Order: sequence, then structure tokens, then C-alpha cells
Amino acid sequence: MERISIRVPRKKKMSYLLPHLHSGWAVDQAILAEEERLVIIRFGHDWDETCMQMDEVLASVAETLKNFAVIYLVDITEVPDFNTMYELYDPSTVMFFFRNKHIMIDLGTGNNNKINWALKDKQEFIDIVETVYRGARKGRGLVIAPKDYSTKYRY
Amino acid sequence: MATLADSFLADLDELSDNEAEIPEDNDVDAADMEEDVDGDLADLENLNYDDLDSVSKLQKTQRYIAIIQKVEEALKMGSDVSTQGVDLEDDPEYQLIVDCNALSVDIENEIVIIHNFIREKYRLKFPELESLVHHPIDYARVVKKIGNEMDLTLVDLEGLLPSAIIMVVSVTASTTTGKPLPEEVLSKTVEACDRALVLDSAKKKVLDFVESRMGYIAPNLSSIVGSAVAAKLMGTAGGLASLAKMPACNVQLLGAKKKNLAGFSTATSQFRVGYLEQTEIFQTTPPSLRMRACRLLAAKSTLAARVDSIRGDPSGNTGRAFKDEIHKKIEKWQEPPPAKQPKPLPVPDSEPKKKRGGRRLRKMKERYAITDMRKLANRMQFGVPEESSLGDGLGEGYGMLGQAGSGKLRVSVGQSKLAAKVAKRFKEKNYGSSGATSGLTSSLAFTPVQGIELTNPQAHAHQLGSGTQSTYFSETGTFSKIKRT
Repeated sequence: MERISIRVPRKKKMSYLLPHLHSGWAVDQAILAEEERLVIIRFGHDWDETCMQMDEVLASVAETLKNFAVIYLVDITEVPDFNTMYELYDPSTVMFFFRNKHIMIDLGTGNNNKINWALKDKQEFIDIVETVYRGARKGRGLVIAPKDYSTKYRY
Repeated sequence: MATLADSFLADLDELSDNEAEIPEDNDVDAADMEEDVDGDLADLENLNYDDLDSVSKLQKTQRYIAIIQKVEEALKMGSDVSTQGVDLEDDPEYQLIVDCNALSVDIENEIVIIHNFIREKYRLKFPELESLVHHPIDYARVVKKIGNEMDLTLVDLEGLLPSAIIMVVSVTASTTTGKPLPEEVLSKTVEACDRALVLDSAKKKVLDFVESRMGYIAPNLSSIVGSAVAAKLMGTAGGLASLAKMPACNVQLLGAKKKNLAGFSTATSQFRVGYLEQTEIFQTTPPSLRMRACRLLAAKSTLAARVDSIRGDPSGNTGRAFKDEIHKKIEKWQEPPPAKQPKPLPVPDSEPKKKRGGRRLRKMKERYAITDMRKLANRMQFGVPEESSLGDGLGEGYGMLGQAGSGKLRVSVGQSKLAAKVAKRFKEKNYGSSGATSGLTSSLAFTPVQGIELTNPQAHAHQLGSGTQSTYFSETGTFSKIKRT
């Protein structure tokens, strides 16, 4: 019997450049302890392709945003505590928190709770974070993303 | 007549005498100058002489003999230096070293002259040899060994030349066009070879002596550039004291050769580097940094020379410290520049905005606000095709502008602030009529339907505000459609 080996191209993994949180308690503390900055958490798996794309963007902007946002990665298999609460069933989920409060964003997708796809553009992500930060500082629970991501414009 | 002619001739003679005298003087001057300039060339002319002694005179001079003798004595005595504390300039050994430096330069020149002599003679026997063996001393040795032998396989050149060169030399010798030399010429040539070898060994002796004493004369300088280069620097500068008085930029040029580049660029030829290029530091530096390293080296060796000239540090520690410093600096130059860190963005809204609202800003906004005409052109009425610049919807569309129902082909410009300003200025210059409305405006409108409409300009004033006819969303519409009666 002939064996067929399929070669999977190796992808770059940028996740090692960002801090990981390894327990539910750590996630809670990260959100609670940050007073002045936005907390951005990416839920997913480091090995997931969508996550890899997202991590690429996150890692590249982490240094740029460090004055007003901090980025953490959470493995949803290692830390399943939030899966039901935040409905984490997408390959990659990015959520924003400010002073222990979840900030919603109107992305035009219908799901205002999170970014559940991989953003490819750094500047777009920076713009979203700035908007979220501005809104959150003013006490808003829902901000409107600078760009509409609804599929209406894609098709 | 004759007397007059004679007198004229006499005058002419006198004149020509004067003229003849002056050029003579010039000639003499020129000859003097030539002698000065062509001192080196005179040596070359001598090469044609048959007699060796008339070519090389150095070995017979009193100076050469005296110095070599002194050096030999000093070398025999060894390096037990007992003259510590004596002023350096008065030290006889120091004087000897300065003389040695001068002598070594002379010996070098002498060897070149003798080399030319040997070549001249030996060319008849083996013309290709001079192009195969370039170094004067090697050449002299090989010539002495070969002599008049035609079959080179019988001559053992092992130890004189690298084996590859020996191979080439013996192969070339088998096909050479040379003839054996007459006995007299050969003996002269061999004698010249001997003399070159003796001079070479003398030069080595002198240099060994100088180098062995450099550690005592200039410990700091020689620990930076090495004793050989230090000796050469001192020799060219004319002693340690004058080296110490020299600025660093001149030290850098000591021993620099005048190169004839034949019009080529000076960019890559190590043009302005003297003896310092023979230092170990210079040679280990990458070529792109060599000029820089050379400047640094010159500066530090000048400092070291100054320390040495006052015998400030006989242990040579200062020099070694300088050397370490130079090494560190050169290494640092080769480091890549630090990686550029991304600049973090400022916190949004962290600073209050500099620009505030106010009368001025409001005025400016008013002045540059979108006009009513543009507003109309940007708007479409529902279910009514717009006019366009090329017709049939081609070209630039006019929107609601100039549509039949609106009766507004030409929109009279409302009393905008900008217009008022312009009008005011206009008036100040005493032009035109007194009224604010221009004489060109009219309530007559020519529509594309080729009719003339006479409309009330005020009737449609409301319509400007909104494109839609007073619906729920329009600006003119009221909240409730039911009018109170």
C-alpha cells in the first residue's frame, strides 16, 4: 500500500511575541488590574490559521499601541472558563475591555461583541483600537467602528 | 656715411653683447635648477657606467663605516641601557638611532641603484629573469647562483625562491635568447650582487638595532604602531623631539610617496597615507574605514610621541592604553546601528485640542461653505432625469440645477458673507452702482424647453434646503401634516 504524505506549508507563528494568559484567574486579573489602558484579548488557538493571521497583526501593532492598549492571548482549550460566557466558538475572537467592562463595537457585522475574523490590515486595527479607547474613556459601552465590515460591501 | 654706419654697427654690437650676457645667466640658473631637481636622475644616468664603484659610493663613505661599526658594537653590548634619566637629545645612543634611520633610507636607495646595475649587465645572459623575480635582493641572489650556467637543471635554487617560481624560471631559461657573459662582465656582476647582499644585511642590522632600542627611546609610540614603524616615523621626522612637535595631520603623511596616478581617481588609491599604513592596526582595518583609522592612529601616536619625548611613561602603559582605545573605537565603527524601535502612538485625546470654535472659525466656515448652486447640482429629484453637460446622461450631471419645474436655471447667489465682503471692497473703490444686486441678474430664465418662464424668485427659496418635496424628513416639512385651521 502506498503512503501519501501531504506536506503542509509551515506558517509563521507570531504568537510567541505576545504574552499568553494561562488561567481564568489570570485573565480576570489582567482585565481588572489595568486601570488606564484598554485590554485586548485574543481567544483562540496559536496553531489556528485565522489566529496566526490575527496574531501577525496584533504582534506588529503591540509596540505601537502600548501607551493605551495591552494585548493578551488566551488558548480557549487551556482556559475554557469563558467559552460559554463569551460564546467563543469562532476560530479567532478579539474582545476589548476597559476598566473591567466589556466594550462593544458596531462593526456592521451584526455581532457587536467581538471581532471574530482575522483583520489583515494593521492600520485598520489601530483605528478600531483608537476608536474603542476614545469611546471607552467617555464611558460608552458601544462604539462604532470607523469602517463598516458588513458583507454588504464585500459582495 | 661710413662712420655713421660704423657707429650704428657698434651700437648693435653693444646691444647684442648685453643680450648675450643675459641668456647666459639664465642658462646657468637653469642648469643649477636642473641639477637640484634631477638629483635622482643623475643616479640613473650613472647606471650606464661600467665601473661598479662609480655607481655605488655609499659603502666607501666615512659615515656608513662609522655607523655600521657603532651599531655592531652596540648590538654586541646588548641592551643593557644605563643612560636612564639623561636628556634624550644628548644621549649618544639616541643620536646614533637618528643616524641609523637616515642611513637605512640611504641603503635602500643604494640597493635599488645596484639592482639596476645588475639588471643592465645580466640582461644579456637572461633577459626574462628581471620580469620573473622582482625583488632586488632575490634577484641578486639568483644571479649570483646561476652565474654563467646555461642549463638551469644543474643549479639548485631551492631556498632562494618559492618552488613555483623556480619552476617558471627553469622553464623560461630553457628557451631564453640570452648568451653567456664574458668573464670580465660576469665577475663585475657577481661583485655587484655581493655588494647588494652586504648592503641588505647591513640594513637589517641597522633596523634590528633601531627596533631593539625603540622600546627604550619611545616605548609608548612603539607599543601603538610597532617598533619598525616607530623607527621610520622618527627617522623621517628627524628625531623624537621634532616628531612630538609635529601636528597629527603631518604625522599621518610621514613617508607618504608621491604617486603619479596618470589622471586616475584618488578615491581608491591610498593616497595620503605614509608609514602608518604598515602598522598592524591599519592592515587589520577594513578598507572602508582605513582613512578614518589612519587619522585616529596619527592622533594617538602623536600623543604617545609627546609622552615619550618628555620620558613621561617609560613603562609604555600609556601607549598600550591608547592602542586598546584605538582597537575599541575601530570595532565600534563596525557595529551595525541600533535597531529602530517603532514609536508608540500617543494616547488618543490625551491633550486638549488646540483649535477651538469661535467667531473667527465660524466666519471662515461660512465663507467657504458649500453654495446653494452646488447643493442643487449635487441633488437629484426622484423620478426626474437630470440634465447633463453632453446630454443623454453623458458628461457631468447637473442634478436639480436648471430643471424645468424648478425655474432655476440661474441661481442668484444669496447674500453670502464672502460676497458682501467683496462688494464692500468694490464699493470702496467707487465702482458701479449703489445697489448690492448686480445689474446682470434678472428674473427671466431660459429653460432647455425653449420657453421663457417668469417666476417669482422667492417662490422656490424653500426648495433649496431639501431635495425632497416637503415630506416627513424634509427641512420645510412640519411634524404634523394637518394644518391647524
